[in-house]
Amino acid sequence: MTRRMIIAVLSLAGVFLATYLTLYKLGYLETLACGTGSCEVVQASKWSKLFGQPVALWGVGFYLAMFGVAFTGTLARYVESRAIGVALALMSGSGVLFSGWLTYIEVARLHAICRYCVGSALIVTALFVLSALDLRRGAAASSDPTHPRA
Amino acid sequence: MAKKTVQKANNKQFAGVLVAVAIIGVAALGYVLTHRGPTVIIVDPKIPAGAAEGHLMGNADAPVQVLEFGDFECPGCGNFANVTEPDVRTRLINTGVVGFHFFDFPLTQHLNSFTAHLAAACADDQGKFWEMHDRLYAGQDEWSDLTDPTMKSPLPVFRRYAKEMGMDVAKWEDCVTTQKYTARIKGNQAEGVRRNVAQTPTIIIGNKQVNGLTYDEFKKLVDQVLAESGKAKADSAKKPAAAKKGD
Repeated sequence: MTRRMIIAVLSLAGVFLATYLTLYKLGYLETLACGTGSCEVVQASKWSKLFGQPVALWGVGFYLAMFGVAFTGTLARYVESRAIGVALALMSGSGVLFSGWLTYIEVARLHAICRYCVGSALIVTALFVLSALDLRRGAAASSDPTHPRA
Repeated sequence: MAKKTVQKANNKQFAGVLVAVAIIGVAALGYVLTHRGPTVIIVDPKIPAGAAEGHLMGNADAPVQVLEFGDFECPGCGNFANVTEPDVRTRLINTGVVGFHFFDFPLTQHLNSFTAHLAAACADDQGKFWEMHDRLYAGQDEWSDLTDPTMKSPLPVFRRYAKEMGMDVAKWEDCVTTQKYTARIKGNQAEGVRRNVAQTPTIIIGNKQVNGLTYDEFKKLVDQVLAESGKAKADSAKKPAAAKKGD
């Protein structure tokens, strides 16, 4: 599988993870399957909402967007598209920054770690690494005169 | 040609993995949504209440007595109080079918919970326990985020609630800050521990102990208790008749 394909697969997994947390935050699930109780602390905190909506819901949007762009980037017409590579790197880069901030809040302010948030942070980091590698490959290919780009 | 074959194989693998992830994801979400019903364990309903004093809503002589062990900072309890309880009150408590007892069960990981329980217990001094109970749960988002121990106490938020409820705020605050009802809260908590309460909300209806439930699930358990007590009454009425026949 190409890097963009792996990005699409990881993003789809992220969609389900974020949807699970959103369902809990919106009250559709009574409890989170989290043995330590820290997930509830994190989910009940003021940082679990952004612009009036659950952070997890924004996560669903982010992962859906990543999935859409990565999937498009796997289509024969866009396989060599540098714009797709740049978009993936920018989106996942901002995702890493936001995830890093949320992890800081968990550790430094809430003193509680939610395993689902850690899972999401790992996915976002992997997305960023793969996007950066994809972008680098694209840049190398475009500077190679024997490898014409679309 | 070879490149095309590799690409085809890649696409096939990609489609397979995507479908697998989608199926697993949908199945997992479907499972948690359909299996979110309460876990039922059987307990002895005749365990005496001991020194614990719950807060009663409704009639103490109602045919079904329900106990809730709740934590004011727990989101599941908030969900139960805000979504299920209004229907329970209108349809079962106000109609005299259910007597509802709230027992404090503040969890240690909820740093502001104990203060919230004190706020509610002190509101009881002015006959406003349930009003404060409802206000605390409705405003959970407003004060439960103060989980950082270095942040200010949630007291100013609770003080505002007390003021909005028209309470004697000075008297209420004196009760809260002197922790007048700590023993009572701990007594309720100990009662929960004695009954093997491990999470909140825990609701006991008859011999069923459940963790959070919808109105329909609640009503079903109440109906079961009513049916069992009706059967027991019928049986005890039959026994003297049978004894008479034997004479």
